[in-house]
Amino acid sequence: MSEITAQIKELRLRRSEAQTHKPKRAVRICATGCRALGALNVHSAFEKELASSGLTNAVALIKTGCQGVCAGAPVISIDPDGIVYVGAKPEDVAEIVRTTLIGGGVVDRLCFSGQNAPIPRRADIPFFSAQKQIVLDRCGRIDPTDIESALAEGAYDVFDRVLTEMAPQSVIEKITTSGLRGRGGAGFPTGLKWSLARAAAGDIKYLVCNADEGDPGAFMDRAVIEGDPHALLEGMLIAAYAIGARRGYVYVRAEYPIAIEHLGIAIKQAMKSGLLGEHILGTTFDFDLEIKIGAGAFVCGEETALMASIEGKRGQPRPRPPFPAQAGLWGKPTNINNVETYANIPAILGMGAEEYAKLGTEKSRGTKIFALAGKVNHTGLVEVPMGITLRQLVYEIGGGIPKGRAFKAAQMGGPSGGCVPARYLDLPIDYESVKEVGAIMGSGGLIILDENTCMVDIARYFMDFCAKESCGKCPPCRIGTTRMLEILQRICAGKGELSDLDKLEALAYQVKKNSLCGLGQTAANPVLSTLRHFREEYMEHIALKQCRASACPGLVESPCSHACPAGVDVPDYLTLAAEDRYTEALAVIQMRNPLVSVCGRVCDHPCEHRCRRTDIDEPLSIRDIKRHITDTVAAPWRAPEQWTVSETKQKVAVVGAGPAGLTCAYFLRSFGHSVTIFESLPKAGGMLLVGIPRYRLPDDRLKLDIDFILSTGVKLQLDSPVNRLEDLFDAGYGAVFLGVGAHESTPLKGFDTTTPGVLDGVRFLRDAAFGQAPQKLGRTVVIGGGNVAIDAARSARRNGGEVTVVYRRTRAEMPAYTEEIEEASAEGIKLEFLTQPVAAVIDKGHVTALKCVRMELGTADESGRRQSKPIAGSEFQIPCDTIISAVGQKVAANDAWGLRLNTDGTYEVDTVTLATSRERVFAGGDCARGPASVVQAIGDGQRAACSIDRIFGGKGELPDNLKLTQKRYAAEGESAPPRPHARLAGLVSRTASFDEVVATLGDVEARSEARRCLRCDLEHACK
Amino acid sequence: MKTKAVEKHDVDLAPVATIVASYAPFTEGSIISSLQDIQDRYGYLPRPAMDELARLSGMPVAKFYGVATFYAQFHLEPHGKHTVRVCRGTACHVRNAPQVLAKVSQHLGIEDGETTPDMRFSLETVACLGTCFLSPVMLVDSQYFGRLTPDRAVKILDAIDGKDAAGNTAD
Repeated sequence: MSEITAQIKELRLRRSEAQTHKPKRAVRICATGCRALGALNVHSAFEKELASSGLTNAVALIKTGCQGVCAGAPVISIDPDGIVYVGAKPEDVAEIVRTTLIGGGVVDRLCFSGQNAPIPRRADIPFFSAQKQIVLDRCGRIDPTDIESALAEGAYDVFDRVLTEMAPQSVIEKITTSGLRGRGGAGFPTGLKWSLARAAAGDIKYLVCNADEGDPGAFMDRAVIEGDPHALLEGMLIAAYAIGARRGYVYVRAEYPIAIEHLGIAIKQAMKSGLLGEHILGTTFDFDLEIKIGAGAFVCGEETALMASIEGKRGQPRPRPPFPAQAGLWGKPTNINNVETYANIPAILGMGAEEYAKLGTEKSRGTKIFALAGKVNHTGLVEVPMGITLRQLVYEIGGGIPKGRAFKAAQMGGPSGGCVPARYLDLPIDYESVKEVGAIMGSGGLIILDENTCMVDIARYFMDFCAKESCGKCPPCRIGTTRMLEILQRICAGKGELSDLDKLEALAYQVKKNSLCGLGQTAANPVLSTLRHFREEYMEHIALKQCRASACPGLVESPCSHACPAGVDVPDYLTLAAEDRYTEALAVIQMRNPLVSVCGRVCDHPCEHRCRRTDIDEPLSIRDIKRHITDTVAAPWRAPEQWTVSETKQKVAVVGAGPAGLTCAYFLRSFGHSVTIFESLPKAGGMLLVGIPRYRLPDDRLKLDIDFILSTGVKLQLDSPVNRLEDLFDAGYGAVFLGVGAHESTPLKGFDTTTPGVLDGVRFLRDAAFGQAPQKLGRTVVIGGGNVAIDAARSARRNGGEVTVVYRRTRAEMPAYTEEIEEASAEGIKLEFLTQPVAAVIDKGHVTALKCVRMELGTADESGRRQSKPIAGSEFQIPCDTIISAVGQKVAANDAWGLRLNTDGTYEVDTVTLATSRERVFAGGDCARGPASVVQAIGDGQRAACSIDRIFGGKGELPDNLKLTQKRYAAEGESAPPRPHARLAGLVSRTASFDEVVATLGDVEARSEARRCLRCDLEHACK
Repeated sequence: MKTKAVEKHDVDLAPVATIVASYAPFTEGSIISSLQDIQDRYGYLPRPAMDELARLSGMPVAKFYGVATFYAQFHLEPHGKHTVRVCRGTACHVRNAPQVLAKVSQHLGIEDGETTPDMRFSLETVACLGTCFLSPVMLVDSQYFGRLTPDRAVKILDAIDGKDAAGNTAD
């Protein structure tokens, strides 16, 4: 403890001077991170504009560090108004000055966009209001290159108090009380670390700041140094005082030039102010600080490697113990913390250790800064209390996933961390909880991954990183990471074997256990965490050669084709359509999918979800172009010329004339086998006929596809249920494919569909298809949120019902296709969310109401979808005449067929061959995978046809795609006409009949839309 | 990659002495910083300059060489007029950085770590530039270009090549 020296008095005076001179009105522009997006040009525009408006003296113009919401770069804030503007360009500045600075108004178009309206004020923007900024308090407010600016906001105030009021030991006690743990990743208690360093013998002790922020995806430390270097200096000064260190180093990566510059300026200014060097502020405390610039080696983030690097050596780690606190730099006791840890110190002592300890969770106190990046709308820097959930971070603060895609995982902790899947969205984040689910807190890099991210590729990516960055000193890490990388590369290229997964796991544990330093010990974490949470993706790569994210270049020619279960060569037919070559376009599709009219209308288009054009503007309207092709090419259609069918003597029986069965039959014909389809209903089409209402798929369009399939020589027997499979084998069929649809409804507890007025959804749709559905429905309530529910609702509406759909979760969780929900809503169908049906109210044998209870959303289920739970005492009734239960559909397995079943009642099949437990019997579509999409059923039919060909001794290979075009029309950067939107039939006419609702694209429109295709397949071809 | 041997008389060694003097007394702790200074001065680490550094500092050249080959930042060969650094950080990776790198590499006709024969461009990848909100991002000399697509990256390089001067800041 020191007495109050003249220098201390002087500093206090300076601070109060600086405080009195704080600008009344200020425009703050982030000039660090935002520099890359033109912040400096905006700054000069302000300089000019303020001068010409005579405001130079009235409004302070401040270049700040990171203001957090980096997605909106360049970020400008205006105070005391509290306004934040994002994405402003120099040409916007005049308007800002005129409207806001002079007029006191708001420029709406530069505001942060909220859900419904622009949000001008910082306090109202969820990105900011959900944060708790302690460490980042001054960051983005002060000019980091001006110490007076920092002093005015309280910099070095705490150091002053420490120096004059606290003994070193009591500083350490306070830090221990605060519960602060190392923010570099491992979470070692800071107070304990300091007390070890203090207790270590020796006169010379060093203090080191680890600013070698090498984790890809982490930029917290960069932002702190760039935006408020004095917070770091003050924290280090206090630490040096507490430990008894007289010399310190800040080890910064060379990749951070602005951070190095700002830190250098801060050190100079602090020295000039007597805050660094000998006799600090006239006391006996000495502390010198030097910047060491890293030279591009990730391993130098490891403390012993970092010290080796400061000593001027190759940055290779050494075994611990001895720990740095005992023998660190040049063998002397050394304390190493990272930037965020030091920057926490003044904040803790400023607010009081006890207050600080109230923040966060029991074992993880305080706040944590996260760098939010990847597939999230509001990328940026956020400081939140420990214990916040991932959902709050991603959705509330981060604004959700761009382009409405699905959240898949959060990568935490970089190459040492792991991937946290959607089912842990509601997990409170702290050191322990994150570790439990296979990741680590790490330094705070939080990369959000969406459905277009391949988890095997992520594991490969990190292993590639670790193998490259392994320093080479210890063999487990040097060789182990390379071997693991080789396996992962193999799997990503589709050359993996099932045994690879065991090898990978065994290697992972060995590398983890035997490596010398943290790099090797944690290098396997991304592999282990993805194997734990996403094993099925590894299996798909190995067994099916599929990458569900369409991301692995070795497997994926173009993302759209790869995403299509039928593997249709999308880019080729889009270009053909663009060139008005519709007949050839149709032939290209029919090489892989015979149900083109059907898919042009009702496909859930996984291709569009993976379309890379989405990153530029919007995905291609692939389905609508396909439909336009089928609406343009005159029927009858004939099998592709490339089919040179030489007839074999093999006979195959297909059970069910739905999409799976029809497709299987078609491709079996391509191999020359003779095929007969046995259909129990009087018409072909299966669920396409009885599950999809006519207004989505008219009869004549379905017939067009079926006629085409039959034209290849497929025989069809209607009204022919198959009771025993033996009968088929006895009749000379060499193989059987089962393509039975999910024709049964999942029963809903408490609802008896034999009661008049209580209908079964699937049955209702079937009756509607045959024109036998009840006509006088009256007030109708449909229960469910899937496609059956929406189809039933819209059909009921067409049968004169006044329809309400009740669903227990919210719109966001509804499994039904978005456009169907929108159309239903437009047709006057009411949607009641968070409503759980309890029972039908029956009076005198008739339904009079539906008894319901209100629900609220709870935590995530396995898939990350939020579950709902009832709110006690919220029961209510919806008066109605008809109730349609449509909560799901299932397959009625035929026990007489003697096949092994899955727990959900579907047939157990080999995922690769689709073979069932019975020899020569295959199954696909709904009956093998549960209620599936049309195109999944088509893909299964195709796959089974190939498997069947192989058991007959064939190669089971489909003819090659036609590859008729090599031209790309889309030129990036040139604006293309926007994606066309489907034209719908008028509401009045459409709700009165089952006529088709969606109209085809116009010819010009379709061709111009097809030209937007980027032809990703061609890029692949030239690799 | 083949490089022509740099002869001692090709290199002006006077700056080395100035650099060594600035660290007096020269200790092991100055090795990395002095190499950084040499690279700043020459654009890479010419062998004669390393020899001179060793001679003046009184330390074996192997010490300097060992350090220089360990760290990614140091180049033992001359670099192109412009250095293109494509970020391979996680955020960039999941936002199509691999396609950007492939296209840039194809366009320049060189792989990661190489220099075009006309010495105009060197291509490197970096672990993370810490500007994830710009992803995918590349750094050409000291200028950041963010939110790239493969085509845009090529256009930027063409513009630089055309004018032989960095354009304005990315949009």
